[in-house]
Amino acid sequence: MSSNKYFKHEGPWSDSNDPLMCSDTGDWRTKRPVVDKDKCIFCGFCAIYCPIQVMEMVEESYFSPDLDFCKGCGICAKECPKNAISMMPEGDFKK
Amino acid sequence: MITKVQKKSQIKVITGNAAAAIAAKLARPDVVAAYPITPQTEVIEQISQFHANGEMDCELITVEGENSAMNAVMAASLAGGRVFTATSSWGLVFMYDAILAAAGARAPIVMVNVNRETPGIIAVSSGQQDMISTRDAGWIFLIAEDCQEVLDLVLQAYRLAEDYDIQVPVMVHYDGFYLSYLSEGVDVPIQEDVDRFLSVLKTQPERTKLVPGGRLGCGSHGILGGYLELRHKHVSAMERAKAKFQQIDKEYEEIFGRSYGGLVEEYRMDDADVVLVGSGSMCGTIKSVIDEKREEGVKAGLLKMRMYRPFPSEAMIKALKGKKAIGVVDRSLCFGFKGGPIYTELKAFETKLGGSKMISFIDGIANTDITKINVATMIDTTCDLAAGKNVREVTWVSYPEAQEEGGL
Amino acid sequence: MTEKKKDNLTKVMDYLKHEDPFSKGVAFCPGCGLELLLRFIPQVMGNDIVITGTPSCSAPVLLGQNNQSWHTLSYFGTLMTGAAANATGLARYYRKAGIKNTVVCFNGDGTAADIGFGNLSGAAERNEPFIYICYDNEGYMNTGIQKSGTTPFGATTTTTPFGSASKGKNLRRMNLALKMAMHKIPYAATATLSDLDDLAKKLLKAKEAKKRGFAFLHVFAPCTTGWGFAPENTIEVCRRAVKTNYFPLWEAENGKIRMTKTVKKPKPVSTYTELIKKFAHLSQEDLQILQDDVDYEYCMLGGLSLLEGECRLPASLED
Repeated sequence: MSSNKYFKHEGPWSDSNDPLMCSDTGDWRTKRPVVDKDKCIFCGFCAIYCPIQVMEMVEESYFSPDLDFCKGCGICAKECPKNAISMMPEGDFKK
Repeated sequence: MITKVQKKSQIKVITGNAAAAIAAKLARPDVVAAYPITPQTEVIEQISQFHANGEMDCELITVEGENSAMNAVMAASLAGGRVFTATSSWGLVFMYDAILAAAGARAPIVMVNVNRETPGIIAVSSGQQDMISTRDAGWIFLIAEDCQEVLDLVLQAYRLAEDYDIQVPVMVHYDGFYLSYLSEGVDVPIQEDVDRFLSVLKTQPERTKLVPGGRLGCGSHGILGGYLELRHKHVSAMERAKAKFQQIDKEYEEIFGRSYGGLVEEYRMDDADVVLVGSGSMCGTIKSVIDEKREEGVKAGLLKMRMYRPFPSEAMIKALKGKKAIGVVDRSLCFGFKGGPIYTELKAFETKLGGSKMISFIDGIANTDITKINVATMIDTTCDLAAGKNVREVTWVSYPEAQEEGGL
Repeated sequence: MTEKKKDNLTKVMDYLKHEDPFSKGVAFCPGCGLELLLRFIPQVMGNDIVITGTPSCSAPVLLGQNNQSWHTLSYFGTLMTGAAANATGLARYYRKAGIKNTVVCFNGDGTAADIGFGNLSGAAERNEPFIYICYDNEGYMNTGIQKSGTTPFGATTTTTPFGSASKGKNLRRMNLALKMAMHKIPYAATATLSDLDDLAKKLLKAKEAKKRGFAFLHVFAPCTTGWGFAPENTIEVCRRAVKTNYFPLWEAENGKIRMTKTVKKPKPVSTYTELIKKFAHLSQEDLQILQDDVDYEYCMLGGLSLLEGECRLPASLED
């Protein structure tokens, strides 16, 4: 019999009962969305339009991106009706 | 072939196509998808009628092309269903990508392919060229000699394909125009016996199935060693299929009273000096000519290939070892090689045959009959080879011009 | 303060009833419309769908690698040629076995409009019980931006480049969604990412319609990399496509067409193309050809939507 090192089944099956694969897409970012909590009216447009769905509700008051995965596309900033999100160069945050 | 009379089964005079359709019905598939093509059409017509009559409780998908037929049964099979489809010639070629995918996904499909030529111009004629064009797809190939064997092989194919240790799709081949439309007596088993024969599969562990919400996915990329692992698993399963098929043939005999000897059928081989290796409907003719030749004192025998993929090399070597001369009859061509495909493959084992000499016969393509005269010529030529005479390596039996031109 | 803010929350949120089954970090380009669509579908329709995927931009994420997966959905990954036939096989087997199911056949325009159209049409003709979603990025993006049947007039791709003898794609696009509606299937609709409430409603309608047979959704999903627009403009591109009638939003129940969003004063198509580099080389005259094509399609759609009388399924096909 062959081994089951890479596949647990006879055929090309993947099994998501095991931990999902995940890339550090946050590393791709050149600009970072920064949310102005005061300007945020909690409309959620940034969250629904975010392709990665990483805008998280904070205290049902404002939204904040999960920077581990945010690719920095800038859709949230563009779609925010109150211009509460600005895209800041990632270099500004490096130590 | 050993036949015991079964009280409960019924002898019916039916075509090979009808035998395939009835076998499919008896196997109780969940999903059938197929598309008409000469000479297979009668198979799906019969199944459609069974379905219309309420005799066949399956999902019948009347697809818009063979490619969809294979894709539909592949998915249904991987979802857990028992499936059936049928095709021929260009239909087989049109589903080629899906045939490869189904094998790679290890979908235990059973399909009949009614052999027909696939030349560069449209031709409706006999030949196994369609089979040859898909021989390396990773499917198990079985070849039937007569209408009875069509029915028997389809039922055996389910046991083989769906066996937990195998899980490889199986194609049952039979000669178009000869077996497809030929009517002969076929012992049609009763449903209870077929159910009993197939019930062994229910005692095995369940194969992996695609279930809604099941968190499994089929069609994952094989990367790094993963791809190699899948391929090695597939090749290993093909190897296991040989012994498994032998065992299935035995169990089939216990229930239905018919055995063919498993991977190969040996006809008057024990004391044979010269042997023809053949497959499919030609074997009936060869057997009768051998009987006549035997009366003349020629010790001729037939080795019939029932399984073509995996190549039953061990069984063939065992049967052929020490024979003086072997003539391999191919109903197809192997472009780039002078000899036929089966001849060319068997050649790879020549050193294991204990000095047997081999020659190739090409015949039966393009609606030329493999007549008794043709078979007699083949046996005579093989005898000449055994006697040490100078014999051509390849003979196009029905096309003497090939020899006259001096090319081959 | 918080209570007051909660009232502002977009109603689209109400449609997101299920968890996003995808891993957070997946390999789609920043600003990819496909990624948004792919994450949106199961959040609206549920995680118990079986999704089928083919070689395309979606394949590296929909299909796993060895034993591992990027998401928790059941999926079937296979060939572009037979995607709708695969979904047919799944849906039919589940029906036979009495397994409750929602099969979503998810393909790009290359599969839907080109190489897999034959079996898409066949499945629609047979009214197979599953949902077919075409994400239309107007070309073969995963192989490096080649022309497809839905690539519009004038667009440059690597197989329809701009040159002295070529305006880019010198042919007009096909209207896949209309073609599908003409199969008289229970449900066909267009949708895009700027109008997520409309998309969500149509996903749910498709799920409902699937009980009566085939449901088709054509989703306009712009490609930032392949078309040449800034990643932040993905939604804006969709919005302008709708506002120029470049991509009108409509639905057809049993073949009867109805606009789901009427644009009162459509903007010229140039307000859409100006965002996108693949149209940048077009002259005013060329743009007029594109405008004429957009008008032509809209005229056809408008005419069909005005047809009087009610389209109903034959009684035998009603559930």
